[in-house]
Amino acid sequence: MRGIQLPLSQTQKVRLQKTLEQLESLSSKVNSDASVIIADSIPVNHEDGVLKGHGTADLDGEVVATVCGVVERVNKLVYVRALRSRYKPEVGDIVIGRVVEVAQKRWRLDISFNQDAVLMLSSMNMPDGVQRRRTALDELNMRCIFEENDVVCAEVRGFQHDGLHLQARSRKYGKLNRGQLLSVPPYLVKRQKQHFHHLEEFGIDLIIGCNGFIWVGEHIEAKDDMVEDQVSQSDPQVLLHNSVSLEEQERNYTILETRKYICRAANAVRVLSILGFNMTLEIIKGIIDLSLSMNLDIHEMLGSEFCVLVAEKEAERRSSNKKKR
Amino acid sequence: MVGLSLGEKHFIQGGIAQDLRCDGRKRLAYRPISVETGVIPQANGSARIRMGATDVIASVKAELGRPSLLLPDKGKVSIYIDCSSTAEPAFEGRGGDELAAELSNALQHCLLGGKSGAGAGIDLSSLIIVEGKICWDLYIDGLVVSSDGNLLDALGAAIKAALSNTGIPRVQVAAGTSNDEQPEVDVSDEEFLQFDTSGVPVIVTLTKVGRHYIVDATSEEESQMSSAVSISVNRQGYICGITKRGGVGLDPSIILDMISVAKHVSEQVISKLDSEIASAEAEEES
Repeated sequence: MRGIQLPLSQTQKVRLQKTLEQLESLSSKVNSDASVIIADSIPVNHEDGVLKGHGTADLDGEVVATVCGVVERVNKLVYVRALRSRYKPEVGDIVIGRVVEVAQKRWRLDISFNQDAVLMLSSMNMPDGVQRRRTALDELNMRCIFEENDVVCAEVRGFQHDGLHLQARSRKYGKLNRGQLLSVPPYLVKRQKQHFHHLEEFGIDLIIGCNGFIWVGEHIEAKDDMVEDQVSQSDPQVLLHNSVSLEEQERNYTILETRKYICRAANAVRVLSILGFNMTLEIIKGIIDLSLSMNLDIHEMLGSEFCVLVAEKEAERRSSNKKKR
Repeated sequence: MVGLSLGEKHFIQGGIAQDLRCDGRKRLAYRPISVETGVIPQANGSARIRMGATDVIASVKAELGRPSLLLPDKGKVSIYIDCSSTAEPAFEGRGGDELAAELSNALQHCLLGGKSGAGAGIDLSSLIIVEGKICWDLYIDGLVVSSDGNLLDALGAAIKAALSNTGIPRVQVAAGTSNDEQPEVDVSDEEFLQFDTSGVPVIVTLTKVGRHYIVDATSEEESQMSSAVSISVNRQGYICGITKRGGVGLDPSIILDMISVAKHVSEQVISKLDSEIASAEAEEES
C-alpha cells in the first residue's frame, strides 16, 4: 500500500491489501536475491577487482547498495538499476516531448530526461514532404512547424557530442494536437513493439511515450506525404488562432462523443498511475471496457472504489495468465 | 507549471464549453477531497487537505496575549500562508511570496470579517479570558505543499478542518488581583475546549474560462482563466466575503449568477467537508 494515496474505507483497505499480496505472490521469484534495498551488502568476489558502478558505495571494504533496485553485473562492473528512476533514453525509443526552445536549426525538447533533447531541423521531414537541403528560409520558418510549448512525438536517434538527439522522419511523428498530455512515472512504461495505438472503436489515438508522457487525443489519419500541400498543412493552425471569433472556435471543438472516450482513456491511465501498474494497451483497454460495462461516470473512475476494483481485476488477469502458461 | 501548446489549450477550453473537463468532471464538480486531522502534534489543531494533486496543511497555534486597546473584548486571529518551493519551481526564493500574500489577504477577507471583528467566521469574543487583560491569540498558518490549482478553496477547507480539530486549554484566572496589574493565570494541561466552527464559511472559487465558469480548477485550467471570483459562504447560506482575481472585467449580472451558483455548490461542499472531517477525527482517535 506504500505510496498509494487514496481515501479508502476500511473494507476497501482490506481488499486492496489482499490484492497487493496476491500480486506480490504472483511476481516472479527468479531474481529475488538480486534485488537490494539501501545499505544491503552486495556479494562480490574481491579478487577480480570489481568496478563499482551507479548505486553502489564502498563501506568498510564491503560493496553496499545506495539505492533500492536490482543488482546488475556486466563483466567486472557491478551496479544497481534503481526501481524508481528517471527516464533513460535508448536508441529507437518513442518519446513525447514539449518544445522548450527554438534555437539555431534545432528545437530543444523537454522529455523528462536529465537533459533536454535536441531535434534538428535536418532530422525531420519537411511538411511539404520533399527531400531537400534545408535552406535559410526553412530556418526562419521553424516556428511554423513547432513553437515553444508544442507537444511533439519523436524517436530517439542517439547520443551525439552535444547531447541527446531525436528524429522525426515519418508522418506518424510530429506535432500532437487536439488531446491531452498525461505524465506518469517513466518506470511504468515498458518498451513494447508498438507505442502508437489507434483505438478504432473509440476513434482516439493513444501514444505511450517511453519517457512516461502519454498522449490521448483525437484520431488523426496519417496522410500520404506526397499528396499533401502547404495549404492544408497550415489550415488547422489558422483556425486555432485567437483572432477567430468564439463561435467559430466552438464549432471546431472536439466532438463530445470522442471527447468522452478521450477522457475515459485518460482516466484509465491515471488510475494505473495511482496504483503503480504498467501501462500497456491491453490493460488500458480493459479498464475502459470495465468502466463502460459498469456504466460509470467518467469522473467516478478516479474514486477509490473503482481503483480497488481495477487492482482486483488485474490480479485476476495475471493469475489466469499464469495458469495458462 | 509548464506551458501548454495551442492544441491543448483549445482542448481544455472545448471541454469546459462542452461540460466535460479533461478529467471527466462536469463544470460544477469537485475533485475528491481527503482530510487528515492532527498532522502536527505541536500545534493546537492541524489538518491536511488533498484535492487531486493539490495538497495543503493548516495549523492553529493558540497563545496568551493582550487584547488591543480599541477592542478590549475581542481576541486576535491572524492568518499567514506560505507557499513551499517544493510545490512549484516558481515558488523558489521569493517567488512564492506574492501568491502567499494574495492568498493570506483573501483568506483574511473571507474568514475574519471587518477590522472591528464583526462578521468573522470565528467568534472572537469567545477568545477572551479577562476583558482588556488576557485573551487568546490564534495564529493560523497554512502551507502549500503541492499545488495543482484551487489553492484558496483548499486552504479555506484546511483552516476549517484545523479549527474544528483545535483544542484550547481551559484557563483558570486567579481571583483577587487588583484592577491594574496583570492577573495570574493557570493553563490546564488536561482540559481542552472545543471550538465552535459551525460559523466558519467555506470558500468556493468560480473560475471563468471562455463564457463558462467552473469550480475546483486544476492549474492547467487556471492558466486559461480570464478571471476568478472566490465567494465564501457559511452554513446559513450567507455570503461572508468575495474576492476577484484575474485582469479581465466581469459583467455584474454574471457575478450575481455566480453567487447563486456558489451558494448552491457550497451546500454540497459543506456537507461533504463535515462528513470528511468527522471521519478524519474518528480515525485519529482510533
